[in-house]
Amino acid sequence: MGFRKAASILAISTTLALALSGCTSDKPAPSASPAPSASSAPTSNTAEDSSDPRLEKLGLDSNFKFKETHKITVEIYDRGNDGGTKPEDNFYTQYIKDGMLRDHNVEVTFVPVPRWTEGEVINNLLAGNQAPDISLTYSYPTIQTYANMGGVLDLGPIVEENKDILPDMWDYLTEANIYWDKDPSTGTLWALETRLNVLNRINTFVREDWLKKLNLQAPTTLQEFESMLVAFKDNASTLLGKDADKMIPFSTSFDIGWRADHLTSSFVPNNLTDKDIYIQGFDDRHFLFPNYKEGIKTLNKWYNEGLVWKDFSLYPAGDTTEDNLMKMGYVGAFIHNWDYPYRNGDDSIHASLQRLVGPDAAYIAVEPFANDAGVYKKFLSGPVDRKIFFPATNKEPIASLLYVNWISKLENRVFLQFGEEGVTHEKLPDGSFKTIATTGEKIMNSPANIDYTITSNGLNLGDPDKTVKSIANGYAGVDSKYIEIANQITTHDGRVGKNANVGEIKAEDGQGQALKEKRDTLLNKAVVASVDKFDAIYDAGMKDYLGSGGQAIIDERAAAWEKYFGKDTMLK
Amino acid sequence: MEITNKSKSLSYIKRYWILYLMMLLPLAFFIIFRYIPMGYIQIAFKNYSIVKSPWEMGWAANHGFEYFIKAFSNRDFLYALRNTILLNFLDLLLGFPAPIILAILLNELAFKRFKKFTQTVVYMPHFLSWVIISGLALQLFAPTNGLVNIMINKMGFASIPFLNEPAYWVVTYIFLGIWQSCGWNTIIYLAAIAGINPELYEASAVDGASRLRKIWHITLPGIRPTIIVLLILSLGHILGSDFERPYALRNTLVTEVSDVISIFVYNNGIRGLQFSLTTAVGLFQSVVGVIFLFGANALAKKSGERGIW
Repeated sequence: MGFRKAASILAISTTLALALSGCTSDKPAPSASPAPSASSAPTSNTAEDSSDPRLEKLGLDSNFKFKETHKITVEIYDRGNDGGTKPEDNFYTQYIKDGMLRDHNVEVTFVPVPRWTEGEVINNLLAGNQAPDISLTYSYPTIQTYANMGGVLDLGPIVEENKDILPDMWDYLTEANIYWDKDPSTGTLWALETRLNVLNRINTFVREDWLKKLNLQAPTTLQEFESMLVAFKDNASTLLGKDADKMIPFSTSFDIGWRADHLTSSFVPNNLTDKDIYIQGFDDRHFLFPNYKEGIKTLNKWYNEGLVWKDFSLYPAGDTTEDNLMKMGYVGAFIHNWDYPYRNGDDSIHASLQRLVGPDAAYIAVEPFANDAGVYKKFLSGPVDRKIFFPATNKEPIASLLYVNWISKLENRVFLQFGEEGVTHEKLPDGSFKTIATTGEKIMNSPANIDYTITSNGLNLGDPDKTVKSIANGYAGVDSKYIEIANQITTHDGRVGKNANVGEIKAEDGQGQALKEKRDTLLNKAVVASVDKFDAIYDAGMKDYLGSGGQAIIDERAAAWEKYFGKDTMLK
Repeated sequence: MEITNKSKSLSYIKRYWILYLMMLLPLAFFIIFRYIPMGYIQIAFKNYSIVKSPWEMGWAANHGFEYFIKAFSNRDFLYALRNTILLNFLDLLLGFPAPIILAILLNELAFKRFKKFTQTVVYMPHFLSWVIISGLALQLFAPTNGLVNIMINKMGFASIPFLNEPAYWVVTYIFLGIWQSCGWNTIIYLAAIAGINPELYEASAVDGASRLRKIWHITLPGIRPTIIVLLILSLGHILGSDFERPYALRNTLVTEVSDVISIFVYNNGIRGLQFSLTTAVGLFQSVVGVIFLFGANALAKKSGERGIW
């Protein structure tokens, strides 16, 4: 009796332990063979073969529709916007799902990833073998790191062999974007660079009504800009009345590199070579460009003269405090995304200003910062945006590529960017689109649904003229004058980034975040330093930055440049 | 002799088998979620790869200690180590006695209702997450827009940089920590005080002892074992670090004091993908924690206390 009981306890406990440990122990071991399905993608030997048996092999009919339903998961950014719909389940995702099922017999499931921490979250998903079949990120180094561990599919052979079933993707992204990241020595391709249709980056904005009130012209030099800030400060009671103590002549955020870029770029020598840009340019804030420090020094001077918002460094990314100060009308000038005050319809800074301050109150883009050659140079990025990659866990590379193709198709992306006629847009007589701000189930959670049109950032209607007109129409409730000026200035005298493709830079592996943190820390500390301590703090921070991996990256980049371009200093 | 012992324990199991059976569940929990994952400690000694199980990963250089050497030659890690010790030590110094004092104060309150009310009020902050507290801190302590500083300015003084200067930030950090957890931590002390024999208080009242005397000679000695146990446990955490609290409260101007080990691990591991390095750091942290725990326990035992085991 006793033995039987003991035995049964033992039996129960072992089954329990086995069952539970079974669950855990098979989890960490992912596919033992990383990416066989990719490199040995089904293919017939020569391209001249009739495509039928190949399609047959892929399980597709002649319309590129799968005979059996395939399932894929797709990453989607979640912005948590006010009044927004569920990013993974709404009117637009339904449009995509229906379309993919209809055209390719592919069932799509969306995986929401928070927009502002996308890098961290996709890391976690990758590490846990949970990354969506179609993943995207702005950080190529993340992809490279996982690729080195065997965690990413090599897209090179797949996109090449299946060119014929992906016409829209090839047509829209073009060879340049598709092969942008192709490793020059190994030929591997870990990611597709999606298209940045509008190279607009940032602008310098000032309060137009304040300029008028103080009888000032829009500043065209650094000196004029500075005097304007001083004038704002000195005339706080004229401009703000009883709120005079709230006056902020110039506001910025902890992300100084972005939020002072036009100012700092004007200190960079005009004759910078492509080589310099490549070697010093791995920090996307241009922070390593020659003479950058002088720009920060100017900001430091302004800060110490009380011209800069005192609390700027305290608020984290995504915090709305600064926006609210702009909306309340306390901020005189700032540098930010090229259309920052005008975006977001009714909730825009522009609309709020007009409601809270008055119909004259508005921000207007200005161009005060010229460089040593008198050129208002702006460093623009290349025509690339997010990077699409397939993790090694993707068992449906063809279905996934068909998705990328589908979302690149003109008809589909135009619908996603503009929505339904009469609800989110109207057609103007000239053929251009005008967006209408909407709420409820057809609200767009991101401007022009950028989060769904994963291969496009910015409008592209297939017709440049219509596109430009539609961009200007895209800001409901904002006088198109403001948009036109902003659109013109933001790329004026711009220098578009080129693709110096030299393959992987090993020193960058895993360094991105740590160096970014160091850059922000150094810039913030330097701006708030007292004038006499500025040099010491900046130089110490720079030394730390370079010593913690920055210099190694510069050296490796310089060597890679020499290897591929020799003595040339400019790219073709 | 042995046989009787054996049969004794067998009959014991026979009689209470249900209890033993129930023990299996927590045991299974600890084995599965606490012991099996320890196998992954080896990542600290190996070159991490996402597609291999830890058993298949190759050994790191320097007999597997490459990542420990890397960590200790990393300036940021050494800063993080210093900050962790500094902040935890200050927390211990100021934060540890606070709930004891508060518990004694609460215990001395005569009106039952008022005591209950006060207790509830001081518990409350415990339920706020650090993200919310940091939001409150910004609203209150920001140099120009913070309520406290606006008041200070109106009184004619200059703003106090509660959040944007390292030394002040440390004070704010410790203060907010005490504010958040002090009330909650009184619970265990109040329970211990409730367990003190009331006859002792009555006898001392007969002897004419004052309130302070009673606290000093009866209450404090009465809760001494509890204090010691909690002290040992908190010493085990001297290198452990919260993530949420420093991460939510930090900003770029105070990184030299705010970046503790957990933030180092987050930035270099989760965001920087250097998993082997950060596992090594985590392992180091745990080993030091265990050493402190044993050390404190041995000391307590030496000075005549019971310790924790």
